[in-house]
Amino acid sequence: MELYRMTATELSEMIAHKKISSVELTRSVLDRIASRDKEIGAYLTVDEEGALAQAAKVDAKLAAGESLSPLAGIPLGIKDNICTRGIRTTCASKMLGNFVPPYNATVIEKLQAADYVCLGKLNMDEFAMGSSTETSYFQKTRNPHDLERVPGGSSGGSAAAVAAGEAIVTLGSDTGGSIRQPASYCGVVGLKPTYGSVSRYGLVAFASSLDQIGPMARSVSDTALLYSIICGQDPHDVTTARRSYSDFVAGMQPSVKGLKIGIPQEYFGEGVAAEVRESVMNVAREYEKMGAELVEISLPSTSYALAAYYIIASAEASSNLARFDGVKYGFRAAEYKNLEELYENTRSEGFGAEVKRRIMLGTYVLSSGYYDAYYKKAKFTQLMIQDRFRQAFQSCDVILTPTAPDTAFKLGENINDQIKMYMNDILTVTVNIAGLPAISIPCGRDSKNLPIGCQLIGSKFSEQTLFNTAAAYENLVGGFDLDQAIC
Amino acid sequence: MDMDLKRLAKLSRLKFSPEEEVKYQAEMERIVAMVEQLPDLDASGPLIDPDNPMQLREDVSEHHFTRDELLKNAPEVQAGCIVVPKMVD
Amino acid sequence: MDYKGYEVIIGLEVHAELNTKTKIYCSCKNEFGLEVNSQCCPVCMGMPGTLPTLNGKVVEYAVKMGYALGCTINPVCKQDRKNYFYPDLPKAYQISQYDIPLCEHGHLDILVDGEERRIGITRIHIEEDAGKLIHDDSFSGTLVDFNRCGVPLIEIVSEPDLRSSKEAKVYLDTIRSILIYLGISDGKMQEGSIRCDINVSVHKPGEPFGTRVEMKNVNTFSGAVRAIDYEAARQIEVLEAGGTISQETRRWDDAKGENVLLRSKEDAQDYRYFPEPDLSTIVLEESELAAIKATIPELPNKKLVRYMKDFGLPEEDAHLLVDQQEKAAFFEELTALNKVKPKNASNWILGDISRLTNETGKTIAELGISAPALADLIALTEGNKISSSVAKSVFEEMLKTGKTAGEIVKEKGLEQVSDTDALQAIVDQVVAANQKSIDDYRGGKTNALGFLVGQCMKVSKGKGNPAIMREMLLKILEG
Repeated sequence: MELYRMTATELSEMIAHKKISSVELTRSVLDRIASRDKEIGAYLTVDEEGALAQAAKVDAKLAAGESLSPLAGIPLGIKDNICTRGIRTTCASKMLGNFVPPYNATVIEKLQAADYVCLGKLNMDEFAMGSSTETSYFQKTRNPHDLERVPGGSSGGSAAAVAAGEAIVTLGSDTGGSIRQPASYCGVVGLKPTYGSVSRYGLVAFASSLDQIGPMARSVSDTALLYSIICGQDPHDVTTARRSYSDFVAGMQPSVKGLKIGIPQEYFGEGVAAEVRESVMNVAREYEKMGAELVEISLPSTSYALAAYYIIASAEASSNLARFDGVKYGFRAAEYKNLEELYENTRSEGFGAEVKRRIMLGTYVLSSGYYDAYYKKAKFTQLMIQDRFRQAFQSCDVILTPTAPDTAFKLGENINDQIKMYMNDILTVTVNIAGLPAISIPCGRDSKNLPIGCQLIGSKFSEQTLFNTAAAYENLVGGFDLDQAIC
Repeated sequence: MDMDLKRLAKLSRLKFSPEEEVKYQAEMERIVAMVEQLPDLDASGPLIDPDNPMQLREDVSEHHFTRDELLKNAPEVQAGCIVVPKMVD
Repeated sequence: MDYKGYEVIIGLEVHAELNTKTKIYCSCKNEFGLEVNSQCCPVCMGMPGTLPTLNGKVVEYAVKMGYALGCTINPVCKQDRKNYFYPDLPKAYQISQYDIPLCEHGHLDILVDGEERRIGITRIHIEEDAGKLIHDDSFSGTLVDFNRCGVPLIEIVSEPDLRSSKEAKVYLDTIRSILIYLGISDGKMQEGSIRCDINVSVHKPGEPFGTRVEMKNVNTFSGAVRAIDYEAARQIEVLEAGGTISQETRRWDDAKGENVLLRSKEDAQDYRYFPEPDLSTIVLEESELAAIKATIPELPNKKLVRYMKDFGLPEEDAHLLVDQQEKAAFFEELTALNKVKPKNASNWILGDISRLTNETGKTIAELGISAPALADLIALTEGNKISSSVAKSVFEEMLKTGKTAGEIVKEKGLEQVSDTDALQAIVDQVVAANQKSIDDYRGGKTNALGFLVGQCMKVSKGKGNPAIMREMLLKILEG
């Protein structure tokens, strides 16, 4: 089999036993990018030279008899909102088109310590605002399963790269579903970790209280492997939890015997495509056959969560993105007569339409006279939602829902209808609002032969349970079939 | 809904052409209508979470960055400083 | 200052830079006067992806000031973002505190014209300083230096309890002196470590308060006095002419001695405060607070009153002692020995000791004279064992040799002569040689007596007891 098609877990073993070199593997993936990415458009920057140099370094270390991390020598793609020292980090925005960070994100430091190989930076919706990767200033990314369709978003490049064999595993970020929805659309696995388990230092902020970096991969164990490396408390990010983490790969026990799986009716409603509903209920029945107990539960209205999400996320975004003003870094408008014009022209020319809408919405909900009715009420709604999840987890261990209301839509289909686009997030935003972990795994295809994803939601820091539950289904179906995308 | 698009644009340091204004006004109104779907709950009291105490940093200096590294991305630099259009003091 | 029958209401917002080793939200050095943009990092430059981490010392120092000003400390509080665009603010928001400040409901007692006045303290909160704009005609634009970005500040907001520029000046001096006593700020005006915004309104006594005007850009305390008097006079003039005052923000120009409109109420900024999502909650344990409280020394405003009351010192002397912590401490060490009169101790410190520290740039400790040693010397003068002029030379000798006053007096035979026979001989000699002075005295020029006593001291080589010789002279002159 071509090396680029294999999982990190398999490749790690082969590298460690010197059956293959990291350079061979990296070459294989770079060749794949060279041949495939013209169509897919997953990468904004490919660092061929750096990747091969890093791979050679790993090979040298192994030759010298060093024992390395299981991620050593594995080629990764990184979402382009995670700062990489010396490598352009654009957030897929004109605003940061030429921005080269002078520092590394904490997750990048951790990956470097684990001797990873950095392939380059992946396309996304501009500043992670969007659900189709179409708001990228630079390029469209196509779904490897159907090139007429979007890969989902905002981590569309991360999902498409993994699905198309253009990376072994990737990092994405998830503020309202930005890892899980594209994972679902591209038929791969994506984990949105518990808020506070992965450092946000170096992740260009969209919504600080909701953003989390997470892994995307073609298998559950690869997802667990990458998560084991990136999680942990970071002194540079005081919102990371003060706790220690076990090795999630070693802790893997793919069984659901005795597990209580909650099924919230609110997530299987009218807005969800029948084929998607049926597929996810099928997963539930398989779990039941494997010894799990299905429990009907009730969660708060998804429209509350969506409203609270768009208010909180946009409020924080309006403030987080204020620093892009043409003064210190990034784009500066060519024409201006004074400071005010420098600000207005830079920001008007540098940001795309979706980013401007979110900034305006955020400014509105924080402005004098509206703060209490919108922002504050949304924050109290968030508390209510968190509380309802706490109650729900008293009667179940994990919650099973569809990841997205439907499968991948066509490029351009929703781009002019914001509300329709926002509805893509309706099943995922609640998890961010509640700060919980959730994993999306493939669970079949619809009549258009597009991947369907289901979402497993756990209580805080229950990632191991999610991996175990997801792996039980993965084992049952004999792994996730990506032949169509990866061929 | 009484959204003053001009005022919001000013606060956000964004500017819109008259055509854009019409488009954004309509879009924003639909979005605001969506986010108004919040439950009826008591939202008085401060927004503070006493169960989430913060670990404070020790007062020890660390310095890793040269001025050149930090100003490398700046659009305009003179005499080791970032330059903006002339302002009255 | 004459306020023409109006009452002037003043509230102050003092911004003081704290002298922590590092900045408030990053580990950059908190130092003044270094090369432009040399004390910066991605965090204080507001680079994309960076996050703040709160310096624990900043919280500790702010709590100290809170206790010093009798505040209630909010053991659970948070930080908020204040959003506005300005080139010196790299993130386009300042991390500050909005609805729950670290300290609130305090007060400060100040001494104005010998009377204690209690000024309410609304709140003290922590926040970050902004960078510096450099306006220089040799450059085509305005330059931005980010070194000061993230320097920790406390903002101390007073109630509108001050009634004159003089009171405001005393308030500011007292705040500064307390900051220095607590060791939490350098209080260096010329480096901008203390700045203030001033709120002023005027009204006729018995009538409701007037509309308040805020003044920004006041960088010195003497400037504050000028700014207040200018603004009060401006408002009074407007009212006297039948006009009304509008709520606005004005900018003080100290060089021109006037202020100009910065923005009217209609243009008031909408800062869109909201809780800083990158930081979690500041939670202070009772034990931590108690430990901080235990470090608060007696404060200069309280010392001042005590020195006047308990030691009978004049206000000016008390001020001079209190102004410098080391002088006050040395004074207290001296008086605690119970060997000398406080006024004499004070005179020595404000006299020879201060002269020496000023001349040499040394601290009192570095001069190498201990409080007990100085007390012994002063006691010799108080016990008439040596005269004050001899005491000065003994003091110099002590500094040079490290010997005790007693040893030096004994070795050099400097003990004051009180033997009447010996002194009478000296007096007679002086009287014989100064007939003119004697005539002057008898002619009504009584200060001739001082001259004659001085002559006696000279002849006795400073050892004669001046009081006894004075008596002897008087006897002759009056006789």
